[in-house]
Amino acid sequence: MQELLNTLTLGSIYLLFALGMALAWSTIGILNFAHGAIFVFSAFSAHIISEHVALSMPVLILISVLVGAAMSALTQWLAFEQILKRSTNHRSAEMRVLIGGIGVAAIPIAIVDKATASAPFGFANSTYKTEVYESMGLRMTNTSLIVIITGVGIAVALTLWLRASRRGLGLRAIGVDSETASLMGVNRTAMALGTMAIAGGLAGLAGALQVFQLQAMGVATGDQLLIKAFAMIVLGGLGSMAGVIFGAFALAGAETLIFAAKLGTWVDAVSFGLIFLVLLVRPQGIFGRQEVRRT
Amino acid sequence: MGVPVQRRRLLKMTAALAGMAMLAACGGGTGAAAQNAGGEGGIASNIKLMGVYDTTGPVAYAGVGASKGMKLAMEEIEKQAFLGPDVKLTLDEVDTAGAIERASSEVSRAIADSEVKAIFGPVSGQQAATVAPIVEQAGVPTIFNQAGSEGVVIGDFTFRGTAPMYSYYDIAAKYLADKGLTDVAVIYNGTFPTFAEIGQKEFPRLAGEHGLTVSSSYAVQSNTQDFTAQAQEIAAKKPDAVVLLLIAPQAVTALTQLGQAGYEGQTVGSSVQAAGNVAQAGEHAAGLVYPVDFSAAQDDETAVKFVEEFTKKYGKAPDQYAAEGYDSMWWLARAIKASGDSSRAGIQKGLQKVAAEGFEGVMGDLTFEGNDLRVKGVLVQWDGSKERLATE
Amino acid sequence: MMAWYTANAVVVQATMTTLLLALSIQLPLRVGVFSFAGVGCFGIGGYTAAILYTKFDVDTWPAVALGTLLAGGLCYLLGLIIHKLSGLYLGMATIAFSLIVAVAATNGGSLTGGASGIFGALGGITNLHVLLLLALVVAGLAISEYGRFGRMIDTVREDPELAAALGINVGRYRKLTFLASGLIGGLAGAVTTLLRSTITPAEVNFHMVVVALTVIIIGGSSSWLGALIGAIVITWLPTVLSFVADWESIIYGFLVALAAIFLPGGVLGLAKDLIHRWRARRRPTPPAPPASEAEKIPGGEPSSPATERSLASTQGGTS
Repeated sequence: MQELLNTLTLGSIYLLFALGMALAWSTIGILNFAHGAIFVFSAFSAHIISEHVALSMPVLILISVLVGAAMSALTQWLAFEQILKRSTNHRSAEMRVLIGGIGVAAIPIAIVDKATASAPFGFANSTYKTEVYESMGLRMTNTSLIVIITGVGIAVALTLWLRASRRGLGLRAIGVDSETASLMGVNRTAMALGTMAIAGGLAGLAGALQVFQLQAMGVATGDQLLIKAFAMIVLGGLGSMAGVIFGAFALAGAETLIFAAKLGTWVDAVSFGLIFLVLLVRPQGIFGRQEVRRT
Repeated sequence: MGVPVQRRRLLKMTAALAGMAMLAACGGGTGAAAQNAGGEGGIASNIKLMGVYDTTGPVAYAGVGASKGMKLAMEEIEKQAFLGPDVKLTLDEVDTAGAIERASSEVSRAIADSEVKAIFGPVSGQQAATVAPIVEQAGVPTIFNQAGSEGVVIGDFTFRGTAPMYSYYDIAAKYLADKGLTDVAVIYNGTFPTFAEIGQKEFPRLAGEHGLTVSSSYAVQSNTQDFTAQAQEIAAKKPDAVVLLLIAPQAVTALTQLGQAGYEGQTVGSSVQAAGNVAQAGEHAAGLVYPVDFSAAQDDETAVKFVEEFTKKYGKAPDQYAAEGYDSMWWLARAIKASGDSSRAGIQKGLQKVAAEGFEGVMGDLTFEGNDLRVKGVLVQWDGSKERLATE
Repeated sequence: MMAWYTANAVVVQATMTTLLLALSIQLPLRVGVFSFAGVGCFGIGGYTAAILYTKFDVDTWPAVALGTLLAGGLCYLLGLIIHKLSGLYLGMATIAFSLIVAVAATNGGSLTGGASGIFGALGGITNLHVLLLLALVVAGLAISEYGRFGRMIDTVREDPELAAALGINVGRYRKLTFLASGLIGGLAGAVTTLLRSTITPAEVNFHMVVVALTVIIIGGSSSWLGALIGAIVITWLPTVLSFVADWESIIYGFLVALAAIFLPGGVLGLAKDLIHRWRARRRPTPPAPPASEAEKIPGGEPSSPATERSLASTQGGTS
């Protein structure tokens, strides 16, 4: 039971990180490899401000979300949009977006690295206090409660919004066929900018919550989560938000179990081995549809 | 249309390039062999040293710290006229920026420059291990700081001015034994070489020597971020102490989650937690003890004076890296004086001579195992906001 | 020249080994197989060679050969299992493969040296040897880029259905790609390791995928020459930039991003464009009017060369 609770917390953090990435990737086709850097940098911005003024949790989260959204939108406008404008071939555009993201990511990471001298940073100076609840032999902190509620809540809300709202429909239309979608009156550029801002905001949210949950963040955290998020999205099936939710909790569950089995240094092998096997059985991921975008 | 012509041209061009590179390769071979001369004896008035280590990137803190310590030592050596009134040491630094090839390339360049009499090698383990055979072959004395892995000190010309963490970790085991905290749990990062070695081999051995029992041991990876499960299991088993061999952000999280899980026993860390790296864990880190090779809280005379001078020069107390750099530079100066010869061969002999006798540095009484430094180490305690010496 | 070479021999060496690694990733991409297994093969090749060399007293070249062959063989087996996966799903599976190699190395006990890896595997490889091996690999790849064979590969990438209709055994091509990529990756690993004398599990990670992709995208993904240019740029850029010290990684990031934005065909594509334009200008007879027209229509936008080239490449692919 306690394992389940731990999985839920860990999975929610993974989920918050992966959601933004999955949103941008499955709708406007941007696989943003700067997502991890945005995640780290927005939490770091909040940290810098919190060093000067003691702030409450919502304010710190807000700062982080805003910084994340701004960075992500800026990246989209200055880099990805420019790449798409200059390419004719979908495959090469995809690769260049990937590399462009890697290039962009190097910049904030270098800044954080320099500013912290590679030491972990956190919100030690915030007014937020972690409390531990205990009932029926189960332990959990108020932070993990917040993390779980936010993670699951936002994931479900986002999934429903994409399914039900007009905008969500427009966004999904871009994901299926961007040309036809723009002929149908979907403003692709604006939509893409908005989507990236939301994705970045989610990265910022994930960053701030992760710092509250784990108390500290190292500069390399973003990259480590990036590859895991990539795995979760592919595991769940690209294009499906439900898939991301599944992927996040599946990976977190696998990791928790491996730790429980005292195989700590085999974590990557077992979790990626599982992903490997799943792909063999279901080449489109668990919730994936037959691919329509690429031929 | 014009493609075939272009293609032929490209092929020709590559062939030409290849030919050129081959010529160059042959030339390189003879050049490298001829440069090993030049042991004139005596102490030159200007002794050029080369520093090849990271000053930017993920392990920059170690390179920058060592560099500060070395520069302070150089100033003192000159001011005291330790090597004679007109002798000047100069240190040229290049940044390896985390790249193995960059490190070996810069070291090769330093070797090729016969003016360079000694090298201060990379702080990262793998860079150092790559560089070590090169300097051995060329016969250039090289002192490494940090770089705790195997394969770094491999012969007569490779030296290390940082004692490996495991060599002074016994003071932590002794501390636990003295306090009667015999039931110990270990969480270690199994993908980080230094910690893997202590967690798998050294600590269990030390535990045996001091009558401790390692009741549970948890391996994690460098990318493990959450320790809830381990923390809860430990809190439930209530061992007397928990040894954390984790990188900086991991230790903060693990300490916090241990606290949240209700664990109240003694926590033991490693020198990675020094320099305020656990500050983010707040109250949960209070009481943590960890062995270091140097702490600014040390109260012996040499250390106090060093801290004073360092703070005057840089406006900040020295960290362990600075102390290691400082003692390494003094090791070199003593070596030159001992052999009375500032050539490469002379410095090499001197370094070995000094190492055989040992000397007193800011890290205490320095002894050597071959060319490799050993220190007693000090156990410090983090009280939630600063370091102080743990009662011995 | 000689002095310059002596001082930079290691960087030259790094350029060549980086190129080998990049080629092991570029080849599958050219065939339309999104495989990063080359990185895992780098690890297999490197570890095999280092273990044989240090623990079993095998000589340099047999060790390199065995490392290369083992990596190639394992990669071929991998290909047999997963060649049917498409796009980034295949990418994910191959990244998983590479990470599993690293974990196996970490947990390999005394055989692989655990987390610290293997030290002291300094083989007797010179830059000349690397150059010859590289020339061999490049020659093989160059053959696959030109003529009928090259067009066949282009077709397999651009339109597998068409390729199958033309009687090309697409599945076989894809599987053989794994073999070739594994051999090159294994060779890269074995050579790099015996040159450096060390290999650690931390090396075989996602970062290596990033380096290889950056090389390919900056240089140009269509030909080995692009990878060569990319390898030169990536290996030498830090040396050139070292004077900016603290700003280095920031500038590096900027340059990579700018290359991704403004050089759709990489540096190689840019060079080809320039050569093309220069030729067009030197020949003002018949082909001139359409050329000048073409310049007018897109309004002097920098996107015109991209369109031109992509048209050319589609023609090349389907004809």
